[in-house]
Amino acid sequence: MSTEVTDHRKIIKQALADHDAATLLHQIRQMLRDDPKPHEVSFCATSIARASAEIQQQLGAQTLRLFVVRSVTLEPLVPHLTVQAALSNFLLDIRLGGFGSYADDLMNPGSPLAGFSPHLVLVHLDLEDIAGQLPDLCSTGTGQGVAAEVESSIASFGQMLQSFRSRSTAKMIVQGMVVPDHTSLGDVADANLSHSLPEAVQDLNRGIAALCRTLPDCIFFDVDRVAARVGRSAWRDERLFLSSRLPLSANAFLPYARSLLRSISAMLRPPRKVLCTDLDNTFWGGILGEDGTDGIATGATFPGSSYLLYQQYLKQLSTRGILLAIVSKNNEADVREAFEVRAADLALRLDDFVALKINWNDKAQSIREIAEELSLGLDSFVFVDDNPVECEAIRQRLPGVAVLAAPVQEPWTILKMLTDAALFDAIAVTADDANRVAEYKAQSRRTALASSAGSHEDFLASLGIVCTFSSALTAPLARSVQLLAKTNQFNLTTRRHSSTDVEAFAAAPGGQAVVVRVRDRFGDAGVVGLALARMEGKACFIDSFLLSCRVIGRGIETALLAHLAANALQHGAEKVRGEFIPSRKNSLCSGFYTAHAFTPSSAPHAAAPESQFFELDLTHSVPQIPPWIHLEDTADHELTAPSLVAS
Amino acid sequence: MSSQPLPSSLRNLIADILDISPDQVTPELGVGQVEAWDSFGHLQMILAIEGEYGVQFDPQRIPDLITVEAIRSELIAKGITLDA
Repeated sequence: MSTEVTDHRKIIKQALADHDAATLLHQIRQMLRDDPKPHEVSFCATSIARASAEIQQQLGAQTLRLFVVRSVTLEPLVPHLTVQAALSNFLLDIRLGGFGSYADDLMNPGSPLAGFSPHLVLVHLDLEDIAGQLPDLCSTGTGQGVAAEVESSIASFGQMLQSFRSRSTAKMIVQGMVVPDHTSLGDVADANLSHSLPEAVQDLNRGIAALCRTLPDCIFFDVDRVAARVGRSAWRDERLFLSSRLPLSANAFLPYARSLLRSISAMLRPPRKVLCTDLDNTFWGGILGEDGTDGIATGATFPGSSYLLYQQYLKQLSTRGILLAIVSKNNEADVREAFEVRAADLALRLDDFVALKINWNDKAQSIREIAEELSLGLDSFVFVDDNPVECEAIRQRLPGVAVLAAPVQEPWTILKMLTDAALFDAIAVTADDANRVAEYKAQSRRTALASSAGSHEDFLASLGIVCTFSSALTAPLARSVQLLAKTNQFNLTTRRHSSTDVEAFAAAPGGQAVVVRVRDRFGDAGVVGLALARMEGKACFIDSFLLSCRVIGRGIETALLAHLAANALQHGAEKVRGEFIPSRKNSLCSGFYTAHAFTPSSAPHAAAPESQFFELDLTHSVPQIPPWIHLEDTADHELTAPSLVAS
Repeated sequence: MSSQPLPSSLRNLIADILDISPDQVTPELGVGQVEAWDSFGHLQMILAIEGEYGVQFDPQRIPDLITVEAIRSELIAKGITLDA
């Protein structure tokens, strides 16, 4: 054992004694950074288990109940999963299903899985279980039966998954198959014949992925991609698979656990929304103020090509709705000149950025200003800078911001760094995401108009706001779930419902699952608000009510409430009841119900102590849609939205 | 042989896997005597030892390596020099 590891262990033990969760996890991260030994991982996992109360209280870690439906030995992997979960701020409560009972687990309502009521179910089966005939069928490479076998395998797998989906609201993560590396046909024939085993397994994986897209709250885990990264021939130790059914070699434990947690996090947490980049030695090579416009490195030739690659990556992020900002200590006029003169060598133009902080101010201050201008929390931000002092300053002063140190000596490694950090992982990209950049630019033009218009109401009227209400089921459902998962500030109860829950609200008699789509003369903000309600006797109870912060302050919330109340009246409601659950971020909307003439009311029995309840007697007053908001008929407009990129 | 003190690397490793103190790791300790040393704990232990000493055990031998002493002997038989 090296002295370095011994030091980590000492600090970890001390942190345990001190009940200091942050130090504990920091040391574990350090200790595991390169190639940890299996027993070191066990030590870390045990330490995490001991400190679970502290990790929960001090770091706000969520408990994650994970059930694994499996046909292989995964017990030795549990310490790795525990550690990677903790490093992603989850406390793992894991249960492994029986080896032979995976079908029962998925299809039998009385199975141990159902009793465990997991947040998440991982389906980890082997090729043998899903399509055991394939290796034989593929032995000639031309087999006619191969496609049919792939199809029927997917169909029967689909039945199991659908059966589970119909009974449980747990999120699902379905693992694909690793493409076999050693076949009787050999590399050349595998590559050239139409029905080789690698081809067939890839088809199978594509089929399973397509199946997952049809199931709500279900994602595909492409384990073959992780295996390829490690090396497929090193992925499995046949010795231990054949003797103990261990599907992974010891070297594959860490990459497997990391990737799995990466997928899990993407399912349970929103991605970052804004990337703030430095310019000198980050966005381009060299220092603009010293090397001059012609001296900075960017463009097709090395080393500028490394920076061009980074710019192209940023442009791709921006295309799917990640907002870009420049935070650079420079003279703004110099930067404007560089973007003009070197335009042919740069992948981005200045107006691809939603905010420019090019000045000599403190960078923490600049980032705070951007957060305010965009009405986004700092935990939506990523900061990339080559200067270790700037990086450290942001880490200390804005702890919510994710900081990446640009690799100034090896600028070509920045893409791998950014990708590995998994900060922008999303399981779906909606048309509204893609539209977001334009929307934020429109926001800044609106701000300009606001300063020139007279009264606030005149200003709002001048925006030409049009709202369209529709069912959450007919608008892309994925967008509603995304709103539920991501909205923090204007969110009255912050309940992170799944798509299955949303469907249940819509289906219940008198229930409502309503979204609002908003556009104005500057742009289409897309689906930006959601309300879920159910009938409780003669009262319409609002379970969830949320609005994207992009449209706050324009009366959209009032319109949504009015719409909800009008529907409630139609369902025979006499009252509307609302709930407010204070969170760390939603103080903005704490006065929402009282501002709309609701009065405080008593809490029901089962209510959480922090919940506040309000009610409005509809026989006395009914909320009205503000006069500056125009309504558009649902039928005309809702389906003209660009279709969903992924559901 | 069993009178010789166990090498600290082996003791610490086994202590980590079984979540016990290194002092409790004796040559006589074996499967079933500690809660964590069940069949899966055994597999985990084998993986940890293989990783630490860079060896691979024959799967047919693995079920026999059920005491600390048996593991030590197997490592020595594989030509591993264990510190004191």
